[in-house]
Amino acid sequence: MLKQELARLAKGLFAEPIPGAPPVEHTIAPTLAEEAAAVFRFASEYGLRVLLWGSGAHQAMGNLVTPDLIMTTAALDQVVDWQPEDLTVVVQPGVLIVDLEAKLEQQGQTAILPESPGVSTVGGTIAAGLSGWRRLRYGPTRDRMLEVRLATGDGRVVRGGGRLVKNVTGYDLPRLVTGSFGSLGLISEVCLKLWPLTTERAMVHVDDPAAALAASYRPDAVIESNDLATVYLAGSAEEIAAQASAIGGEPSAGHHWPDPLPGRTEAVIRVPASAVSAIVAMIRPLGVAFQAAHGVGEIRFVADGIVDEIGALRKTAESLGGALVVARAPDDSTIERWGSPPGSIELQRRVKAAFDPRGAANAGILPGGI
Amino acid sequence: MSLVEELKAILGSDRVHSHPLELLVYNKDAGVTTGAVAAAVLPETTQEVAACVRTARRHGVPVVARGAGTGLAGGAVPTEPALLVVLTRMNQVWDLDGTTAWIGPGVLNLDLSRHTADKGLHYAPDPSSQAACTIGGNVATNAGGPHCLAEGTTVAHILGMEMVTADGDVVHLGGQSPDPIGLDLRGVVVGSEGTLGIVTKVLVKLTENPPAVRTLLLTFETIRDAAATVSATIASGIVPAALEMMDQPMVIAVEAFTRGGLPVDAAAVLIAEVVGLDAGVAAEAATIERIAVEQGATSVKVAADEEERALLWKARKNAFGAVAQAAPDYYLHDTVVPRTRLVEVMAKIYEIGDTHGIKMLNVFHAGDGNLHPLVAYDAREPGMAEKVRAAAEEMVRISVAAGGSLTGEHGVGLEKRDLMTLVFDPVDLDAQARLREAFDPDGVLNPGKILPRGSRCYDYGMAVLSEGEE
Repeated sequence: MLKQELARLAKGLFAEPIPGAPPVEHTIAPTLAEEAAAVFRFASEYGLRVLLWGSGAHQAMGNLVTPDLIMTTAALDQVVDWQPEDLTVVVQPGVLIVDLEAKLEQQGQTAILPESPGVSTVGGTIAAGLSGWRRLRYGPTRDRMLEVRLATGDGRVVRGGGRLVKNVTGYDLPRLVTGSFGSLGLISEVCLKLWPLTTERAMVHVDDPAAALAASYRPDAVIESNDLATVYLAGSAEEIAAQASAIGGEPSAGHHWPDPLPGRTEAVIRVPASAVSAIVAMIRPLGVAFQAAHGVGEIRFVADGIVDEIGALRKTAESLGGALVVARAPDDSTIERWGSPPGSIELQRRVKAAFDPRGAANAGILPGGI
Repeated sequence: MSLVEELKAILGSDRVHSHPLELLVYNKDAGVTTGAVAAAVLPETTQEVAACVRTARRHGVPVVARGAGTGLAGGAVPTEPALLVVLTRMNQVWDLDGTTAWIGPGVLNLDLSRHTADKGLHYAPDPSSQAACTIGGNVATNAGGPHCLAEGTTVAHILGMEMVTADGDVVHLGGQSPDPIGLDLRGVVVGSEGTLGIVTKVLVKLTENPPAVRTLLLTFETIRDAAATVSATIASGIVPAALEMMDQPMVIAVEAFTRGGLPVDAAAVLIAEVVGLDAGVAAEAATIERIAVEQGATSVKVAADEEERALLWKARKNAFGAVAQAAPDYYLHDTVVPRTRLVEVMAKIYEIGDTHGIKMLNVFHAGDGNLHPLVAYDAREPGMAEKVRAAAEEMVRISVAAGGSLTGEHGVGLEKRDLMTLVFDPVDLDAQARLREAFDPDGVLNPGKILPRGSRCYDYGMAVLSEGEE
């Protein structure tokens, strides 16, 4: 009976099983927020767990979800409304970041989404709360979230924010869903604030990234990896020349962002920006590949074969008020995904329940198993 | 013991005000609404705030947090006799790290930038009331200001907070590390107008002072030319640090007050500011100048030095003070529209003024489409207050109709609470009410603000079922 009802509800929306996804009987690809909400309503009523899926790029983040159903954003893949003169774009979650950025670039604009996104979708990246390297200059993705439509875990379609670059009308749902890992529901549409692309871009290799950061004025990024430290500059040719001279290096044209880290397991340490060099000093001797964002406080590294050291690194990160989180891992990895939950855990639980009281949406994925 | 006696036992009698004459200071903000205060307290520590909240709850009295009272939307004006928790004494600054600091909510916005000036840093959001308003109030309203065009509003500069909850517990949200794990409750608390908790410490992000600044004063014969300059500047790939417009009535009022040499015969002026490296600001200023001339600017003046620049900003930020001198009462509005719709919305706003026969002055954040029509009037004139209110609602409606929203930086408060239905469906408002309940299930924190009555009553399930039947 249950199956019949689902068949009626999701008629025409069933999709093929997704390679690499957990085995489930049904994979559903809604084409409208209302359809996603109907599935959630059904799931809430019958106590089923829905796992949300974009391209799978960030599925290893967060606690494991054991789903009864998978709902994919594959059929929500449109750029809905782009207003170049207002520097805003409305986009559905299933759009690939590479596609969106390529489109925006045609008119010299960017959403400042991650620079090497692979197959990542806009929705998955927002749900995972991820930002690109350029957050040093432009701030995190959450600060460009202007409006959201959300199919909630209990089956409502809710809109928050507005398609305006400045707006304080009502509670800030767009920021709340950023980094919520699908725990509140499925993001069915977002409006993002855009930036003009700078005319010139260049890189300067340096020996001391912390000193280079201090010597430059608001560069796009300062990235230190195992054998290279690079300052990413943008602006006019004159600005780049002035910055390079202040840093003390030769600029080379263009931005070449670091390749994604190799290996099966990748972890990210998030600490106050002032602690980056200290964390790098701990990771370097481990001999694993790493990429550290100076001025931001994010250090990514390959975590295969260093299970024992992870514990010490996590302890250090947490003692600094930060965290060590898993960005990528094989299914059988035993590394705890989040570490110690935040002190506001009870409040977090209640906020989750305000959108998803029955735990239909990505149940347990957040810190503390929320 | 009575509420007041208990509060005096916690804080001492000099930090508890309950005499009706003392409370007169606290029953309104800088806007037009007046409320009811049971008692006002001036706590100095987080623990005192928590104790006051618990005490008020025991007595069944709601709790309203207040900073300097410079708000304009009634956010800190109680709708029913409430305990007013005045946070101005919690004004410490604890330096932590290079570019962040923990500060008390009572620190004045401008004092924070003064405090960090010797380190070459400033706090970016700069509301016009920055000499008087507190950071706690800025957090409550997600305050803006001219320089939020490039830097974002308050929420982009608040990394974390300590907060007393509706139960009188203390929680920490956000923090110094990027992307704290779990839901971003910090982001929701900013702009929540004291309805989710009372923020008792704030972790602020400080911004590097730019090596170079260039400020331009552009003069136009029509509002349309000025607005077209705004659009063309944004379209050219420049996001200036600030892009502010003043119309002629406002320029005249301001010039009489500050004598900064503003052109009183111009229909509109723009103040554009670019910041960055020397080479960059020179080029951007030249581009803006070229665009302005193309759009019909009759004069372009670049501030020659810091003194001239300061005078321009003094004129801009004292605009409201200038109007206060010119008329006994004023009502300052705050709506936001897509910046591409500025010209048409401005035209309609002037029409509304003409229709109601009221004097309208405009000074606003043109770069991000944040309008601030200001009505100067005399409330003693019979029927005038009603006219002003009617015009206010019309202005909000035309902004919303142009794809805009109720408020860009002042907040919803009481002023726009009942207009929330113009931009949100019942389901949206119900979701916001549920979110609020997650923080404050019993509705003790600043009740009656932001959400119209009945927001929580929408029973989506029933509506869906009845639609879905048959």
